[in-house]
This record gives sequence, C-alpha cells and structure tokens, in this order.
Amino acid sequence: MSGILCAIRGGPSSRPTIATSIQLAQETGEVIYYLYVVNLDFLTHSSSSKTNNISQEIHDMGEFILLSAQEQASEAGAQAEGVIREGHVVEEIITYCEEQSPRYVILGRPEEEGEDNLLSIERLQTFADRINEVCQAQVIFSSEKDLPPEEELK
Amino acid sequence: MAKTKVAGTILFILALTIFLFSMENVTAADINSEFSYIFGKIQDAQLQPVKGVKVSLVSGTDLEYETLSSALTQEDGSYAINVPIPIPEQSKLLFSRHHFEQTINNIPAADIEQLQLGNSVSFPLITIEREITPAFWIAASIFVIVLFLIATGFLHNTLAAFAGTSAILAISYLGSPLLPDLYIFDFPQAVTYIDWNVIFLIMGMMMVIAVVENTGIFHWLSYHAYRISGGKMIILLPVLMLITGISSAFLDNVTTMLLMTPITVQIALALNISPLVLLIPEVFASNVIGVSTLIGTPTNILIGSFGNITFNDFLTNLTPGVFMAFLGLIIYSWLTYRKELTGEKAGSPLLLEKLEERGKITNPENLKKAGWIGAGMMLLFVFGEKVHLLPSVTALIGASALLIWIRPDIEEMIGAVDWTTLVFFMSLFIVVGAIQEVGLISAIATVIGKLIGENLLLAMIVVTWFSAVLSMVIANIPFTAAMLPVIAYLTLIIPGAESKVLFYCLSVGAALGGNGSLIGASANMITAGIAERAGYKISYKYFLKKGLPALIITVSISLVWLFIRFT
Repeated sequence: MSGILCAIRGGPSSRPTIATSIQLAQETGEVIYYLYVVNLDFLTHSSSSKTNNISQEIHDMGEFILLSAQEQASEAGAQAEGVIREGHVVEEIITYCEEQSPRYVILGRPEEEGEDNLLSIERLQTFADRINEVCQAQVIFSSEKDLPPEEELK
Repeated sequence: MAKTKVAGTILFILALTIFLFSMENVTAADINSEFSYIFGKIQDAQLQPVKGVKVSLVSGTDLEYETLSSALTQEDGSYAINVPIPIPEQSKLLFSRHHFEQTINNIPAADIEQLQLGNSVSFPLITIEREITPAFWIAASIFVIVLFLIATGFLHNTLAAFAGTSAILAISYLGSPLLPDLYIFDFPQAVTYIDWNVIFLIMGMMMVIAVVENTGIFHWLSYHAYRISGGKMIILLPVLMLITGISSAFLDNVTTMLLMTPITVQIALALNISPLVLLIPEVFASNVIGVSTLIGTPTNILIGSFGNITFNDFLTNLTPGVFMAFLGLIIYSWLTYRKELTGEKAGSPLLLEKLEERGKITNPENLKKAGWIGAGMMLLFVFGEKVHLLPSVTALIGASALLIWIRPDIEEMIGAVDWTTLVFFMSLFIVVGAIQEVGLISAIATVIGKLIGENLLLAMIVVTWFSAVLSMVIANIPFTAAMLPVIAYLTLIIPGAESKVLFYCLSVGAALGGNGSLIGASANMITAGIAERAGYKISYKYFLKKGLPALIITVSISLVWLFIRFT
C-alpha cells in the first residue's frame, strides 16, 4: 500500500483536493497519483458518431489538467504522476483502489448541498466507507475552507 | 454472329419505337375524339397550391351524385379532368381532400356548352378551406410533445422525433379505420415531406468534415493563434473567436465546438486563466458566424432548400450583416471579460511546451487533399447555381471525390456520418409535415399574417425577434422547419417580401437566438459539457447573463443590416 490517490477534474473545485494532496505528500513523502476520468455521458443527447474523436480530445485535455496539477505538486517539492481512465468517476476510483491499493484517497467535500461536486455530502461518507472496504485506504476529505492562501499553493 | 446480334437489337428497338409511337397516337386520337377537358388550379387560404385534391365531375342532386370522372391535383395544384360527351346539363365539380372542407362548384352553362362541342375549358382558381378534424389536434399534440421531449432532454432528439413519426403513422393507419377523422397521412405521403436535398447535403458535408477534423488543423490554428497573440488577450480573444466563427461557417457548429473547446481549455490552462472567458465568446462566435453561409447551420440548410436561396444569396444578403454583428460581439465579449483578459498572460512553460507539441498538423497529406476538394466545392457552391446545381449534389461530389482520393477505410468513413442526426432530420420532416398536412401551420400563418398586415418592416422585426426568442427555449431546427411554410405565406402576401428577406430574418433569429440560453443551441450544450469535464461549470444562469446581451446586440445589428439591404 502506497501513494495518495487524488481524483481531479480541474477547475476551482479541484483546488482544495490538489492543495490537500500536496500537503499530505509533503508530510508523508508519498507519491501523489492524480486521476482524471474521461466521461462522455454529456454526448448522450447529441452527435454520437463523434464519440471517438471527442474521446481523444478530452483525453488530451485531461492530460493537460493532470500536467497542471503535477506542476503545482512539483513546485511544492512533492512527487506526482498522472493517470487517465475512461468511464464513470466513482467506478474508476474504486477500480484504481482495487488495483493499486493507495494508502490515502483524497475526496473533495462540498461545503453545502448543491455545490458543484462529484458526490453529495450524504453519499460521500458511504463512498469513503466503500473505498476503505476495498483497499483499506485512509480517506481524507478536503474542502474550500481547507485551502491555504493562494501564495502558499505556489 | 456479332453483326447479326447488333442488327437484331437495332430492329427490336425500331419495332418497339414504332409500336410506342403508334400507341401514343391512338391514345391521343381517342382522347381528342371522346373527351374534352376541364383544366384548373386549386390553392389553400395561404395561396399555396394544394396537391392531392380529388376533383370529381359529378351529376345528380345535392343528396346523390353520380361520378362521371375524377382526377388528382398535381404538385402545383393543377388538374385536368376529362369530360365524357355528352355531359349532363347539371354537372358540377366536387373538390375533396383530407383536412379540407368538401367544395362543390357548378359548371357554368357557357362552359357546359363548350364542353358539349368537344372544346376544353379552363375553370376559375378554386380556394379550398381547411377543416379542423381530430387529426389536427392529434398532430399538433404530437408536435408539441416532441418539442417538449427535445427541450427537456427526456428523450434523445432523434428518438423523440422518431417516436413522433411512428405515432403519427400508427394513428393514421390503425385509428382511421375506426374513426376516419383520425387520418393524418399515409406513409408514401409522409415520405414526400422529407427534404432529400437537406439530407444529402448534411451527409456529404459530414464525410468531408470527418476527414478534415482528423488532420490536426484545429490544434495547429489554435496554437498559432496563441503564438501570434504572444499572450496578449486583446489579440488572442478575437483571433480564437474568428477561427471558431469561420470554421462554423463551413462546418457545423457542434463539430466546431467539439474540437475547439478542449483545445481552448488547454490554452486557457497554459495561460492560467479561466477557460470560460475564451469559451463563451467562442460559442457565441460559432452561433453568429455559422449563419453567414448556406452550409453553416442546419437551419440555413433548411431555409436555403425550402426558400430556394442559393449559397451566393446568403453571401451577398447575409454575410456582411453577420460580420458586422460579429464585430459587435467582439467588443461586447471584451467588455464583459475585460477584468480577466487585461494584460499579457505569462503562462506555464511546461504547459506551453505541451501546447506547442500538440499544435501540429497530424495528417498534412489529407489536409492538402481536403483543402483542394474544399476549394473545388466552394467554387461549385458559388458558381453551380448557374447550372442549377443543388448544394446537396455539390456536397456529394466533394465527399466522393475526397474519399476516392484519400482512400480511407470506407467503413470508418460511413461510421463518421452521424446517422443519428440524419434520422432526426427525416423524422422531424415527417412530424412537421403532419402539422402542415392537418393545417396547423396554415392556421399559424393566417394569424401572423393578420397581425402583421402588409407592413414589411413590422414583419421583419416580428419574424426576427419571434424566432430569436423562441429559439432560446425550443430547439431551433424543428422550429425553423415548422416556420418555413409560414414565412413562404408571408412572402407571398406582404409587398416587398418577394426578395425573400423574411427567410433571412428567420435565419438570423433562429441561429442567433441560440446565444440567448444554454439550451438554445446544441453547440452551447456541448461546450458546457466539455467545460464541466475540465472543472468549469457553465450554469444556465451564467449563460443567460452573458448570452442575452450578446443575443440582443447581434440580432439588432443583423436586423439593421437587413433593413438597409432590403428596404
């Protein structure tokens, strides 16, 4: 069991998780594995024949998001790698945990219900229990209030 | 042996020709000797020819008729009914068709006299009135349900339209034996509503696009936009908007945004700015400049085909106005995002390096070939109208030439055609055909016609803004398809509208209206979907806040242009 799994999708909602992962890596010396999941569900209601092309484009975009997070980690002296998968985020986190058995898993926690987040506050704990059951990883929640000041991130 | 075969074939052809000629002569002679004809035309209250009206020559009392002969009206509403001689004195013409009131007209005594002498006569133009039957309400309800299902996303667009088509035909076939008034139309009639020019144009363009989008041209263009700008947002923003807009003028907006959004997100991340400040103006530009050509948007393809408006007509009558609107859009976008965009952005060296690495043409050979074919297609689009070359034929010629030249995996190419969209269009044509058939469109046209009167300026304003506002909330493709016969009616009755200006107003309203709300255009939804995958959510409220002023600015400028151009 090693490593810190941190699933990100970029943007402001990933800032707390990235910051927490960097802080944890600094404290434990573990390698961070940033996970980006390509999900094409939004294409359900439109051009289905474009799925192949757009999958590659979003894959490339995901690589960029991961590179951006890795760069932040590297600047803070933490070691980080990027992992890209295709499917549903929740399922892919579980699959990754089953395969790689990370020591820590960082999940973003919304401050309030309705906030843009992978899971609702209610379902987050159930998901954390599931992760723990699968790979005995310690699940750490991070939210906007845990975010260090902008300067510290850099 | 061979000579004998050739001689035999020639003899056979000669014999067949002589036989057919003699047959024709006999028939003509028979017609001339035994019948005279009544010619005429039938139109509806919207002055449109009515096809398929059964015209019967009858004699008898009001309660009991004997049919002497009958004929169906053609595409142009004309009919020619043969009259057996001698013709009874009290003969009448009976006009009947589903969804129209049955009309009986006496044949004037003078005409009867002429017919008795073996002369043909021309009957006055007949206007038949619509009849509201249960089929009217059923077709109207199905259309509204289809629109609702599409708008709410409860069913996939194609599935919604396809189910609507099935329901209409099922009711016509299974319901009408029980209650004849449930009849809407039969399958052969339903299929006549499909505009094959539109279907083949879209299909041909999809094949060409499938080749172009895999060449890396979008990555190359976007990277060079960044390079040219040197990180100065005042240059980068309009250049990206222009790339997106010009691409949308030739490719469909959804494809353009599918390709541009991930690349734009990468540029924004590399420059450490929010992707939304580039994406929102880009999608606006896509919706605006897309309307500048006949092939830029599905709505323009529909309008061009229905209104017989050529590629050149769009270029001369709409493109200048659209580019004026685009200028307004650039200024608006800059003012809206000036805080985020001010100054030179120094990006992350690692990400910029990656951006450069990706900003390469991946298949130069195919791009070159696609460029040549694309140029040839443009020439055909522009000059083809001189030989009445339909845009769909140009698209098919271009697509097949390109495929023959590059010899791709044909299975892959056929797979690249978005059949889902084509089935959507075919089904939609039938659903819209149904409301046209039962008279809903005519009823709407009559109401709008009465409201507007004969004032062209008012008509332009109403059509443009009505289309723009409705396109914010309902899918603009079915809306446009339904509005086309209405616009055709207004074009006939409003003095000055014969320039087809109202079709351009519909084009502007339907396409630019898409900027007013997130659900207003498929390209908006795609952009929002991808942006969300990058962690940047575009909410309905956010889009409305940014989009509504963009809509007002661009539609107003375009409308001013149309006023200047046509009045």
